[in-house]
Amino acid sequence: MTEEFNEMDMERSQALNVEIKEEPKKFLTFLSDGLTFAIDATNVGEIITNYSITIVPNVPSFIKGIINLRGQIIPIIDIRERMHKMPLEGTDTSCIIVLDIDSTSIGIFVDAVSHVVDIYESNISAMPPNSSQELVKGMMSLSKEQVILFLDCELLLQ
Amino acid sequence: MDNGMENMLDMYLFETNSLLEQLDEVLLDAESADTFTTDSVNEIFRIMHTIKGSSAMMEFSSLMTIAHRIEDLFFFIRENTIDSIDEEHKKELFNLMFFSTDMLRAEVEKLENNEPLTSNVDSFVEKVNSFLNKISNKTDETETAKKEGENDQKSENCSTELPQDGSGAFLKVTFDEGCGMENLRAFMLVTSIKDIYENLTFYPSDVETNPDTAAVIIEKGFLLGFDTKQTLETALNIVQSSGNVQSYEILMPPQAEQEDNVPAAKESEPVAQNHIDAAPAPKVQAPTPNTQPSAPNTNVTHVGANKQSLISVNLSKLDKLMMLMGELVITESMVTSSPELQGLKLDNFTKSARQLRKLTDDLQDTVMSIRMIPVAGAFQKMNRIVRDMSKSLNKNVRLTIIGEDTEVDKTIVDSIGDPIMHMVRNSMDHGIEETVEERIRAGKNPQGEIILSAEHTGSEVIITIQDDGKGADPVKILEKARRNGILTKPESEYSQKEILALLMAPGFSTNEQVTEYSGRGVGMDVVKKNIEKIAGTVTITSELGKGMCTTMKIPLTMAIVDGMEVSVGKSIFTIPISDIKQSFKITPEEIIYDAQGQEIVKRMDNFYPIIRVHRLYNIDTEITNLEDGILVWVGEGDKSYCLFVDELMGEQQVVVKPLPSYLSTYNIKKSGIAGCTILGDGNISIILDIATLHHNTSDYAY
Repeated sequence: MTEEFNEMDMERSQALNVEIKEEPKKFLTFLSDGLTFAIDATNVGEIITNYSITIVPNVPSFIKGIINLRGQIIPIIDIRERMHKMPLEGTDTSCIIVLDIDSTSIGIFVDAVSHVVDIYESNISAMPPNSSQELVKGMMSLSKEQVILFLDCELLLQ
Repeated sequence: MDNGMENMLDMYLFETNSLLEQLDEVLLDAESADTFTTDSVNEIFRIMHTIKGSSAMMEFSSLMTIAHRIEDLFFFIRENTIDSIDEEHKKELFNLMFFSTDMLRAEVEKLENNEPLTSNVDSFVEKVNSFLNKISNKTDETETAKKEGENDQKSENCSTELPQDGSGAFLKVTFDEGCGMENLRAFMLVTSIKDIYENLTFYPSDVETNPDTAAVIIEKGFLLGFDTKQTLETALNIVQSSGNVQSYEILMPPQAEQEDNVPAAKESEPVAQNHIDAAPAPKVQAPTPNTQPSAPNTNVTHVGANKQSLISVNLSKLDKLMMLMGELVITESMVTSSPELQGLKLDNFTKSARQLRKLTDDLQDTVMSIRMIPVAGAFQKMNRIVRDMSKSLNKNVRLTIIGEDTEVDKTIVDSIGDPIMHMVRNSMDHGIEETVEERIRAGKNPQGEIILSAEHTGSEVIITIQDDGKGADPVKILEKARRNGILTKPESEYSQKEILALLMAPGFSTNEQVTEYSGRGVGMDVVKKNIEKIAGTVTITSELGKGMCTTMKIPLTMAIVDGMEVSVGKSIFTIPISDIKQSFKITPEEIIYDAQGQEIVKRMDNFYPIIRVHRLYNIDTEITNLEDGILVWVGEGDKSYCLFVDELMGEQQVVVKPLPSYLSTYNIKKSGIAGCTILGDGNISIILDIATLHHNTSDYAY
């Protein structure tokens, strides 16, 4: 699957950037409510599946709570609720992706993690204007059915 | 190198700041005695000398010049004794000294803030010079003239007669290549040798004033002349231990050729000057091992033995140590209360675990004590403020300091400085009566008094600022508050306590006019905020006509607290033990309802509201009947109430961790959460802040 992505990427980017030798960037893709999202792999600290979330009172509902990651206290956001969808019930595949954004650690609760892909940044197109999709800075179609949405990490912190 | 400079700057700032503090103390002592003792003159001279030396080393010329001029001034005073200065000039001298310490401090502050230093201190130099002239004219003019003549002769001597002096001995010192400012280094060397040996002669003799001599020293070395070989040998120790001395040579007269070379050296100045310009910024080097094997080394050990047993440590290292200590406490309880050990009979393990617990407790106490410093530093500064304000407001006020040895965490000392200053200024400005007559009429000592005290009470440090002034007038406060529109209920409903609390409301200042010192209307609420930042509380008591007293209660350390774990539904909360008065079960008969349906319980003849944590924080729990759970009576005074929780889980020492900054955007602190902690099993418990929780309950739907 990954190879398939890569090959397609390579072909497309070769077609587009014959002269400019652009290094591909690594992105981690994950699923949330049927959509595929991607985040810059340099922001990803780790993926954890074994956690216990402590509820913090009096905060917006998309903040699931805080976890203890080896002595570090990290807030957890449910990416579904953050985008005003139904909250995610824990499943076998659901997990927390710990992101390090500007030296702030934050965890996002997602349906499932797919894999790491190499993507040429020049292939990412901007979101259509008037798009109501929050927290996304760009998109790219993989195949006819599949579209990757690129998550804006900085916006996530605000 | 950059890093080295940084460290040096740190050291320099630390040293200079502590010297300036010392200087302030000496000056204040001297002023209260109305004269300088020989000791204090020497002390000031020494302090200025050190500041001058280290500033020169760091190339902070403004600081160096200021210190240098004062050093000159005190050199004069030392020579002529303080008695030669008449009363009027003494007063002027004190003011001049306070002014100059302020100037030095301002420059140091600029360094700390990375601002450029004042480049022109001429006006100050002028001031000192004119003062120096004034006092020197007072002393016997002929005597000074004679002295000057002597000095001239002396310097003359050293350049012409040195080589011919058959009985003398000479030392030729060469400084490290490229160390820069050789003339100043030479001068520093001279002054330190002069401490033990007065009749020192040296060449070039104008190293102190003439920067060009640096070139001569580089070229020819620096010549020190001694009467006898013995004195030379004692001075050798100093030469050996001073920095940047590359080598030295003992020369026995006659040394005519040396002398002859001197004019030639002067001619080569321009070349040598270039050489200096190219020299890099000064650096401190370990004293170069001497090249003179014959030098007596026995006295060197003596220097080592006198080394002080104090070291200065970077605060960030202590913070790190503290953090590691916290982790250790957590990990220890993780190991010893591991669920896998439940129900096992492990005699040896329990024994070792207890030993470990004792050691970590000891270690923790030690780590804490390292960070503890006496409040004296923050208190001593107030002397100066009271002194300055007494002068400018024309009030006679004495500051009494009690318990300055009380030790508190460094972060606390740092954050109480400003609040104390505010309060002392307030007392000076608004508290103490305007005139002595007013005080006498009120039957008080004509001299006003401000008492600053600090004491420990177990887990807290209590700092009080008390004055015997006119006190706060409740009528005036109310009137002012009404005018400023900060009243929230009819005036008649305010109690004495609430009126005084108005003083700390934002935008309140009882003084009609804005003065230099206080009355900007930001004073008291800033005090309150600053103290609350370090988890403390401020209370004001006052009696009209008798004075006012501000009390600050600050928890000794915020990092590790004894907590009671309580559970509510699936959540675990920690209540600081120091906040808990009692915990108890109640029967339905004991519950009283008020008109709004608020549940109230009577304890020790007082009534307290019951706050249900599960309702406050919207937590699902099966225990909603008051008689099924447990009540924890917390808080103090009018902030006292009972928290309803499911059950008590036990006592534990916990390390307070701040909540992630991401959450602070949601005003989490206001909902009564002080932070969180990691329990032995790795779970997180939220630490409740009893004081703000109470605030929060005012808009809590019962």
